[in-house]
Amino acid sequence: MSHLSLEELTRLREPGAEPGLAEPRAHLARCQSCQAEASRLDQRIARLKALPTLRPARDQWPVLQQKLTAERRRRRRRWGGVAGLAAAAAIAAVVISPRLKRPVPAQEQVIYQAMTRSQQLEQLIQSYNPDQRVTDGVTARVAGDLEDRIARVDRDLEMAQLLQAAEREQALARLWRQRVGLLDALMDVHLTRANEVGF
Amino acid sequence: MTHSYVLTDAPAVLARARAGDSAALETVYRAYEIPVYNLARRICRTVEDAEDVVQETFFEVCRSLHQFRGDGSLWGWVRTIASSKALMRLRRNKYRDTDELDEEYHRPGTRVDAGLRMDLEAALERLPETSRAVVWLHDVEGYTHEEIAGMMDRTVSFSKSQLSRAHTRLRRWLGEEVVLAPEVLE
Repeated sequence: MSHLSLEELTRLREPGAEPGLAEPRAHLARCQSCQAEASRLDQRIARLKALPTLRPARDQWPVLQQKLTAERRRRRRRWGGVAGLAAAAAIAAVVISPRLKRPVPAQEQVIYQAMTRSQQLEQLIQSYNPDQRVTDGVTARVAGDLEDRIARVDRDLEMAQLLQAAEREQALARLWRQRVGLLDALMDVHLTRANEVGF
Repeated sequence: MTHSYVLTDAPAVLARARAGDSAALETVYRAYEIPVYNLARRICRTVEDAEDVVQETFFEVCRSLHQFRGDGSLWGWVRTIASSKALMRLRRNKYRDTDELDEEYHRPGTRVDAGLRMDLEAALERLPETSRAVVWLHDVEGYTHEEIAGMMDRTVSFSKSQLSRAHTRLRRWLGEEVVLAPEVLE
Protein backbone atom coordinates (compact mmCIF):
# COMPACT_ATOMS: atom_id res chain seq x y z
CA MET A 1 0.00 0.00 0.00
CA SER A 2 1.29 3.51 -0.82
CA HIS A 3 1.60 6.13 1.88
CA LEU A 4 -1.49 7.72 3.34
CA SER A 5 -2.79 10.95 1.83
CA LEU A 6 -3.40 14.00 4.02
CA GLU A 7 -7.12 13.46 3.50
CA GLU A 8 -6.81 9.97 5.01
CA LEU A 9 -4.68 11.27 7.85
CA THR A 10 -7.18 14.03 8.69
CA ARG A 11 -10.00 11.46 8.58
CA LEU A 12 -8.09 9.17 10.92
CA ARG A 13 -8.05 11.96 13.51
CA GLU A 14 -11.87 12.08 13.60
CA PRO A 15 -13.53 10.51 16.62
CA GLY A 16 -15.36 7.26 15.95
CA ALA A 17 -14.61 4.65 13.35
CA GLU A 18 -15.40 5.81 9.84
CA PRO A 19 -16.11 2.96 7.45
CA GLY A 20 -13.26 2.16 5.10
CA LEU A 21 -10.53 3.41 7.39
CA ALA A 22 -9.45 0.04 8.84
CA GLU A 23 -6.79 -0.48 6.22
CA PRO A 24 -5.32 3.07 6.46
CA ARG A 25 -5.33 2.69 10.25
CA ALA A 26 -3.39 -0.58 10.01
CA HIS A 27 -0.95 1.05 7.58
CA LEU A 28 -0.39 3.95 9.94
CA ALA A 29 0.38 1.55 12.78
CA ARG A 30 3.30 0.04 10.88
CA CYS A 31 4.56 2.88 8.64
CA GLN A 32 7.09 5.23 10.23
CA SER A 33 6.85 7.73 7.38
CA CYS A 34 3.08 8.10 7.77
CA GLN A 35 3.45 8.27 11.54
CA ALA A 36 5.85 11.17 11.06
CA GLU A 37 3.34 12.87 8.72
CA ALA A 38 0.55 12.31 11.26
CA SER A 39 2.73 13.76 13.96
CA ARG A 40 3.42 16.86 11.82
CA LEU A 41 -0.34 17.21 11.30
CA ASP A 42 -0.91 16.99 15.06
CA GLN A 43 1.78 19.58 15.67
CA ARG A 44 0.36 21.92 13.04
CA ILE A 45 -3.08 21.74 14.63
CA ALA A 46 -1.56 22.33 18.07
CA ARG A 47 0.22 25.39 16.68
CA LEU A 48 -3.03 26.65 15.13
CA LYS A 49 -4.70 26.37 18.54
CA ALA A 50 -1.79 28.21 20.12
CA LEU A 51 -1.94 31.20 17.76
CA PRO A 52 -2.34 34.43 19.72
CA THR A 53 -5.85 35.69 20.35
CA LEU A 54 -6.61 38.66 18.10
CA ARG A 55 -8.20 41.52 19.99
CA PRO A 56 -10.49 44.26 18.68
CA ALA A 57 -8.86 47.66 18.35
CA ARG A 58 -12.14 49.47 18.97
CA ASP A 59 -14.70 49.15 21.73
CA GLN A 60 -17.98 48.44 19.98
CA TRP A 61 -20.19 48.45 23.04
CA PRO A 62 -21.23 52.15 22.76
CA VAL A 63 -22.47 51.60 19.18
CA LEU A 64 -24.19 48.37 20.12
CA GLN A 65 -25.84 50.00 23.13
CA GLN A 66 -27.18 52.79 20.95
CA LYS A 67 -28.55 50.29 18.48
CA LEU A 68 -30.24 48.31 21.23
CA THR A 69 -31.70 51.47 22.76
CA ALA A 70 -32.94 52.60 19.33
CA GLU A 71 -34.57 49.24 18.79
CA ARG A 72 -36.29 49.34 22.18
CA ARG A 73 -37.52 52.85 21.39
CA ARG A 74 -38.76 51.70 18.01
CA ARG A 75 -40.62 48.80 19.56
CA ARG A 76 -42.15 51.05 22.18
CA ARG A 77 -43.18 53.51 19.50
CA ARG A 78 -44.51 50.74 17.29
CA TRP A 79 -46.70 49.24 20.01
CA GLY A 80 -47.28 52.18 22.31
CA GLY A 81 -47.91 54.57 19.48
CA VAL A 82 -50.23 52.30 17.58
CA ALA A 83 -53.23 53.04 19.77
CA GLY A 84 -52.65 56.78 19.72
CA LEU A 85 -51.98 56.93 16.03
CA ALA A 86 -54.96 54.77 15.26
CA ALA A 87 -57.11 57.09 17.31
CA ALA A 88 -55.63 60.16 15.63
CA ALA A 89 -56.14 58.59 12.24
CA ALA A 90 -59.71 57.68 13.19
CA ILE A 91 -60.39 61.24 14.23
CA ALA A 92 -58.89 62.53 11.01
CA ALA A 93 -61.05 60.06 9.12
CA VAL A 94 -64.13 61.23 11.00
CA VAL A 95 -63.22 64.81 10.25
CA ILE A 96 -62.48 64.17 6.60
CA SER A 97 -64.66 61.31 5.36
CA PRO A 98 -68.13 62.90 5.75
CA ARG A 99 -66.89 65.72 3.58
CA LEU A 100 -65.22 63.59 0.94
CA LYS A 101 -68.30 63.69 -1.27
CA ARG A 102 -68.22 67.45 -1.35
CA PRO A 103 -65.20 69.71 -2.02
CA VAL A 104 -62.58 68.94 0.64
CA PRO A 105 -61.04 71.96 2.38
CA ALA A 106 -57.28 72.37 1.90
CA GLN A 107 -56.48 71.63 5.55
CA GLU A 108 -58.15 68.24 5.41
CA GLN A 109 -56.44 67.38 2.17
CA VAL A 110 -53.13 68.18 3.78
CA ILE A 111 -53.92 65.85 6.70
CA TYR A 112 -55.01 63.06 4.39
CA GLN A 113 -51.96 63.35 2.15
CA ALA A 114 -49.57 63.56 5.08
CA MET A 115 -51.14 60.47 6.70
CA THR A 116 -50.80 58.51 3.46
CA ARG A 117 -47.20 59.60 2.99
CA SER A 118 -46.42 58.81 6.61
CA GLN A 119 -47.78 55.29 6.15
CA GLN A 120 -45.69 54.78 3.00
CA LEU A 121 -42.52 55.94 4.73
CA GLU A 122 -43.17 53.67 7.73
CA GLN A 123 -43.49 50.73 5.33
CA LEU A 124 -40.31 51.71 3.49
CA ILE A 125 -38.34 51.95 6.73
CA GLN A 126 -39.76 48.63 7.88
CA SER A 127 -38.81 46.93 4.61
CA TYR A 128 -35.30 48.38 4.90
CA ASN A 129 -35.13 46.65 8.29
CA PRO A 130 -32.59 48.87 10.11
CA ASP A 131 -32.42 46.51 13.12
CA GLN A 132 -30.64 43.89 11.06
CA ARG A 133 -28.03 46.22 9.63
CA VAL A 134 -24.60 47.15 10.83
CA THR A 135 -24.33 50.78 11.74
CA ASP A 136 -21.82 53.23 13.20
CA GLY A 137 -22.11 55.39 16.31
CA VAL A 138 -23.05 58.60 14.53
CA THR A 139 -25.81 56.98 12.44
CA ALA A 140 -27.21 55.18 15.48
CA ARG A 141 -27.28 58.44 17.47
CA VAL A 142 -28.90 60.49 14.69
CA ALA A 143 -31.47 57.75 14.02
CA GLY A 144 -32.17 57.50 17.75
CA ASP A 145 -32.75 61.27 18.00
CA LEU A 146 -35.14 61.21 15.04
CA GLU A 147 -37.03 58.27 16.52
CA ASP A 148 -37.34 60.15 19.82
CA ARG A 149 -38.76 63.15 18.00
CA ILE A 150 -41.23 60.96 16.08
CA ALA A 151 -42.33 59.45 19.39
CA ARG A 152 -42.94 62.98 20.74
CA VAL A 153 -44.99 63.88 17.66
CA ASP A 154 -47.03 60.70 18.18
CA ARG A 155 -47.77 61.76 21.75
CA ASP A 156 -48.75 65.23 20.53
CA LEU A 157 -51.07 63.63 17.97
CA GLU A 158 -52.81 61.83 20.81
CA MET A 159 -53.12 65.08 22.74
CA ALA A 160 -54.48 66.86 19.67
CA GLN A 161 -57.57 64.68 19.88
CA LEU A 162 -58.65 66.62 22.95
CA LEU A 163 -58.71 69.96 21.15
CA GLN A 164 -61.77 71.74 19.73
CA ALA A 165 -62.61 70.90 16.10
CA ALA A 166 -61.07 73.94 14.41
CA GLU A 167 -57.90 73.87 16.48
CA ARG A 168 -57.72 70.10 16.14
CA GLU A 169 -57.60 70.18 12.33
CA GLN A 170 -54.88 72.75 12.38
CA ALA A 171 -52.84 70.80 14.93
CA LEU A 172 -53.35 67.50 13.12
CA ALA A 173 -52.19 68.99 9.83
CA ARG A 174 -49.10 70.50 11.44
CA LEU A 175 -48.22 67.32 13.36
CA TRP A 176 -48.75 64.92 10.46
CA ARG A 177 -46.58 67.14 8.26
CA GLN A 178 -43.95 67.17 10.97
CA ARG A 179 -44.13 63.39 11.23
CA VAL A 180 -43.62 62.99 7.48
CA GLY A 181 -40.59 65.29 7.60
CA LEU A 182 -39.02 63.30 10.42
CA LEU A 183 -39.71 59.95 8.74
CA ASP A 184 -38.18 61.31 5.53
CA ALA A 185 -35.07 62.34 7.43
CA LEU A 186 -34.89 58.93 9.14
CA MET A 187 -35.11 57.12 5.82
CA ASP A 188 -32.35 59.39 4.46
CA VAL A 189 -30.09 58.55 7.39
CA HIS A 190 -30.53 54.81 6.82
CA LEU A 191 -30.07 55.05 3.07
CA THR A 192 -26.96 57.21 3.36
CA ARG A 193 -25.41 54.66 5.70
CA ALA A 194 -26.41 51.80 3.38
CA ASN A 195 -24.77 53.56 0.43
CA GLU A 196 -21.60 54.16 2.44
CA VAL A 197 -21.16 50.53 3.43
CA GLY A 198 -22.25 49.31 0.02
CA PHE A 199 -25.28 47.17 0.84
CA MET B 1 -5.94 30.28 21.03
CA THR B 2 -9.20 28.58 21.95
CA HIS B 3 -10.79 28.82 25.38
CA SER B 4 -13.91 27.85 27.16
CA TYR B 5 -15.22 31.21 28.26
CA VAL B 6 -17.30 31.41 31.37
CA LEU B 7 -19.63 34.16 32.50
CA THR B 8 -19.40 34.63 36.24
CA ASP B 9 -22.75 34.37 38.02
CA ALA B 10 -24.37 33.57 34.69
CA PRO B 11 -27.97 32.83 35.86
CA ALA B 12 -28.36 36.18 37.63
CA VAL B 13 -26.67 38.13 34.83
CA LEU B 14 -28.78 36.40 32.19
CA ALA B 15 -32.01 37.05 34.09
CA ARG B 16 -31.20 40.76 34.25
CA ALA B 17 -30.01 40.83 30.63
CA ARG B 18 -33.23 39.19 29.45
CA ALA B 19 -35.16 41.96 31.22
CA GLY B 20 -33.16 44.49 29.18
CA ASP B 21 -30.81 45.63 31.94
CA SER B 22 -28.08 47.50 30.09
CA ALA B 23 -25.34 46.74 32.64
CA ALA B 24 -26.08 43.01 32.42
CA LEU B 25 -26.06 43.12 28.61
CA GLU B 26 -22.69 44.84 28.76
CA THR B 27 -21.41 42.11 31.11
CA VAL B 28 -22.38 39.48 28.52
CA TYR B 29 -20.71 41.54 25.80
CA ARG B 30 -17.50 42.03 27.80
CA ALA B 31 -17.31 38.32 28.63
CA TYR B 32 -17.27 37.26 24.98
CA GLU B 33 -16.19 40.22 22.85
CA ILE B 34 -12.58 39.02 22.51
CA PRO B 35 -13.25 35.38 21.54
CA VAL B 36 -16.01 36.47 19.16
CA TYR B 37 -13.70 39.00 17.52
CA ASN B 38 -10.89 36.45 17.32
CA LEU B 39 -13.16 33.91 15.63
CA ALA B 40 -14.54 36.52 13.24
CA ARG B 41 -11.10 37.87 12.39
CA ARG B 42 -9.76 34.38 11.71
CA ILE B 43 -12.59 33.71 9.27
CA CYS B 44 -13.09 37.13 7.65
CA ARG B 45 -10.55 38.82 5.42
CA THR B 46 -10.62 42.32 6.93
CA VAL B 47 -10.73 43.97 10.35
CA GLU B 48 -13.83 45.89 9.27
CA ASP B 49 -15.69 42.71 8.41
CA ALA B 50 -14.69 41.16 11.72
CA GLU B 51 -15.94 44.23 13.59
CA ASP B 52 -19.24 44.07 11.72
CA VAL B 53 -19.56 40.39 12.65
CA VAL B 54 -18.99 41.27 16.32
CA GLN B 55 -21.72 43.91 16.13
CA GLU B 56 -24.17 41.63 14.34
CA THR B 57 -23.43 38.76 16.71
CA PHE B 58 -24.05 40.69 19.91
CA PHE B 59 -27.09 42.45 18.51
CA GLU B 60 -28.53 39.02 17.80
CA VAL B 61 -27.39 37.69 21.20
CA CYS B 62 -29.00 40.59 23.08
CA ARG B 63 -32.26 40.26 21.12
CA SER B 64 -32.46 36.48 21.40
CA LEU B 65 -31.30 35.87 24.96
CA HIS B 66 -34.80 34.69 25.87
CA GLN B 67 -34.31 31.83 23.38
CA PHE B 68 -31.21 30.55 25.17
CA ARG B 69 -32.53 27.70 27.28
CA GLY B 70 -29.34 27.03 29.19
CA ASP B 71 -29.02 23.38 28.16
CA GLY B 72 -25.55 24.05 26.69
CA SER B 73 -22.85 26.56 27.54
CA LEU B 74 -23.61 30.21 26.88
CA TRP B 75 -20.26 30.54 25.09
CA GLY B 76 -21.20 27.62 22.83
CA TRP B 77 -24.44 29.39 21.91
CA VAL B 78 -22.73 32.75 21.34
CA ARG B 79 -19.99 31.07 19.32
CA THR B 80 -22.48 29.37 17.02
CA ILE B 81 -24.17 32.71 16.33
CA ALA B 82 -20.76 34.31 15.68
CA SER B 83 -19.69 31.48 13.34
CA SER B 84 -22.92 31.75 11.35
CA LYS B 85 -22.60 35.53 11.08
CA ALA B 86 -18.98 35.24 9.93
CA LEU B 87 -19.87 32.62 7.30
CA MET B 88 -22.81 34.73 6.16
CA ARG B 89 -20.43 37.64 5.70
CA LEU B 90 -18.11 35.48 3.58
CA ARG B 91 -21.03 34.58 1.36
CA ARG B 92 -22.32 38.13 1.24
CA ASN B 93 -18.97 39.64 0.30
CA LYS B 94 -18.26 36.93 -2.25
CA TYR B 95 -14.54 37.27 -1.79
CA ARG B 96 -12.63 36.22 -4.85
CA ASP B 97 -11.90 32.55 -4.41
CA THR B 98 -8.18 32.19 -4.90
CA ASP B 99 -8.19 28.39 -5.09
CA GLU B 100 -7.31 28.16 -8.77
CA LEU B 101 -4.74 30.90 -8.62
CA ASP B 102 -3.06 29.26 -5.67
CA GLU B 103 -2.95 25.90 -7.38
CA GLU B 104 -1.34 27.51 -10.40
CA TYR B 105 1.03 29.63 -8.41
CA HIS B 106 2.29 26.85 -6.24
CA ARG B 107 2.59 24.04 -8.68
CA PRO B 108 5.66 22.03 -7.61
CA GLY B 109 8.75 23.26 -9.34
CA THR B 110 7.50 26.78 -9.99
CA ARG B 111 9.64 29.67 -8.85
CA VAL B 112 7.52 30.62 -5.87
CA ASP B 113 7.34 27.11 -4.53
CA ALA B 114 11.07 26.77 -4.29
CA GLY B 115 12.31 27.87 -0.93
CA LEU B 116 8.96 29.36 0.14
CA ARG B 117 8.52 29.17 3.85
CA MET B 118 5.86 31.20 5.65
CA ASP B 119 5.02 31.41 9.28
CA LEU B 120 1.75 29.86 10.34
CA GLU B 121 -0.05 33.17 10.78
CA ALA B 122 0.79 34.27 7.22
CA ALA B 123 -0.01 30.85 5.78
CA LEU B 124 -3.41 30.80 7.48
CA GLU B 125 -4.14 34.29 6.21
CA ARG B 126 -3.24 33.19 2.70
CA LEU B 127 -5.66 30.28 2.57
CA PRO B 128 -8.80 30.73 0.46
CA GLU B 129 -11.70 31.96 2.61
CA THR B 130 -13.69 28.74 2.68
CA SER B 131 -10.69 26.56 3.48
CA ARG B 132 -9.57 28.91 6.21
CA ALA B 133 -13.04 28.97 7.73
CA VAL B 134 -13.22 25.16 7.73
CA VAL B 135 -9.75 24.65 9.18
CA TRP B 136 -10.42 27.19 11.93
CA LEU B 137 -13.88 25.93 12.83
CA HIS B 138 -12.79 22.27 12.78
CA ASP B 139 -9.26 22.24 14.14
CA VAL B 140 -9.41 25.17 16.56
CA GLU B 141 -13.04 25.67 17.55
CA GLY B 142 -13.74 21.94 17.56
CA TYR B 143 -16.82 21.83 15.33
CA THR B 144 -17.53 18.53 13.58
CA HIS B 145 -17.75 18.26 9.82
CA GLU B 146 -21.50 17.71 10.19
CA GLU B 147 -21.86 20.97 12.13
CA ILE B 148 -19.68 22.90 9.68
CA ALA B 149 -21.59 21.49 6.72
CA GLY B 150 -24.84 22.61 8.39
CA MET B 151 -23.56 26.14 9.01
CA MET B 152 -22.16 26.45 5.49
CA ASP B 153 -25.14 24.83 3.85
CA ARG B 154 -22.80 22.38 2.14
CA THR B 155 -22.16 18.64 2.37
CA VAL B 156 -20.03 16.83 4.92
CA SER B 157 -17.71 15.67 2.10
CA PHE B 158 -17.21 19.30 1.11
CA SER B 159 -16.10 20.18 4.63
CA LYS B 160 -13.74 17.20 4.77
CA SER B 161 -12.15 17.91 1.41
CA GLN B 162 -11.72 21.62 2.28
CA LEU B 163 -9.95 20.59 5.46
CA SER B 164 -7.50 18.27 3.74
CA ARG B 165 -6.85 20.83 0.99
CA ALA B 166 -6.15 23.43 3.63
CA HIS B 167 -3.65 21.15 5.32
CA THR B 168 -1.98 20.27 2.04
CA ARG B 169 -1.40 23.97 1.42
CA LEU B 170 -0.33 24.76 4.96
CA ARG B 171 2.17 21.90 4.89
CA ARG B 172 3.61 23.18 1.64
CA TRP B 173 3.76 26.82 2.65
CA LEU B 174 5.25 26.04 6.04
CA GLY B 175 8.00 24.08 4.36
CA GLU B 176 6.97 20.83 6.04
CA GLU B 177 6.97 18.73 2.90
CA VAL B 178 9.43 15.94 3.28
CA VAL B 179 11.39 14.57 0.39
CA LEU B 180 11.18 10.87 0.99
CA ALA B 181 14.28 8.74 0.53
CA PRO B 182 14.05 6.29 -2.39
CA GLU B 183 13.96 3.29 -0.07
CA VAL B 184 10.92 4.73 1.71
CA LEU B 185 9.13 5.27 -1.56
CA GLU B 186 9.66 1.70 -2.69
